[in-house]
Amino acid sequence: MNTSEMPSDGELVRRARKGEELAFGMLVRRYQRPAYAVALGVTGRHEDAEDAAQESFLVALDRLDECRSPERFGGWLMTIVRNRSKNLVRRESLRETDELPLGARSRVPTPDRVTEAAELRGLLREALQGLPEVQRQVVLLHDLEGWKHREIAERLDLPCGTVRSHLHFARKALRAALRAVPGMPDLMRVAQ
Amino acid sequence: MIRIHEFDGADEPGLDRELRAALSVLDPESRDPNYWLRFRWWVMSGAAGELARRRQAVSLTVGDVLESWARALLPTAALVAAVASMLLLRAEEPSNDFQPLVVEELLLSEVGGGVVPIDASALTFAAEIF
Repeated sequence: MNTSEMPSDGELVRRARKGEELAFGMLVRRYQRPAYAVALGVTGRHEDAEDAAQESFLVALDRLDECRSPERFGGWLMTIVRNRSKNLVRRESLRETDELPLGARSRVPTPDRVTEAAELRGLLREALQGLPEVQRQVVLLHDLEGWKHREIAERLDLPCGTVRSHLHFARKALRAALRAVPGMPDLMRVAQ
Repeated sequence: MIRIHEFDGADEPGLDRELRAALSVLDPESRDPNYWLRFRWWVMSGAAGELARRRQAVSLTVGDVLESWARALLPTAALVAAVASMLLLRAEEPSNDFQPLVVEELLLSEVGGGVVPIDASALTFAAEIF
């Protein structure tokens, strides 16, 4: 389908406000990956990111009438995702004060880590945890979801130059962290 | 060895392929090809109630609200129309009892008995006074 034929966010929001299932489904399809990426950037854990992203869509639907600029639904949704994710992390940290830190947890042998891809996943999560939250979100949206600087800037409400700078430092830190791991080139081949 | 791509300050530097490949393992789809389908299904299941409520609210504003107005207004309007038409019919109906009377007739009609005789003493008394 041509991009010009795709309904805009504004149109989909207006239709979803009337309860049109198809329109809301298209919004979910359009933003499910970025929402997950932002949530993962905040929580650092797949399960929490999944919960936060899914709940954020339901919260967004409940508050759809409060979305003052339907054309900027993406940015509005990402704010909800960030807030939900932060709340989740806060709740988790209160509940699991004696749990192992993320880095330590990833070294515990689990069924997931029997494959090299799982090992790479663990290493990346560790490396991402070493980044500031906003850099995690920027690098995940850019290098995982393929969003452009302008889109990230709009939806995370940041200046474009700041996005570029965050991406630069995040990439540099990630590369340094991954390069320090012995056997990393083999793991990269697994990913490719 | 991981290739190092330095930030070149360009407006939109290209994707770092190796880093992107590495990050792609964080995409849940890399473990479960149906992941995003299930994700969407979960969200849509959770949203079904709210979407239904919104659909109902939309239909309420158009049809049901008018109907609820009509439900209250129509009987009232019918009653008012009935009363008004009854009053109109009664007003137009010629009355058989109505007889136009002149003032003298009205005055005399209520006076019974004969004419009171006037004697001379009464006239004298009246003359003294006036």
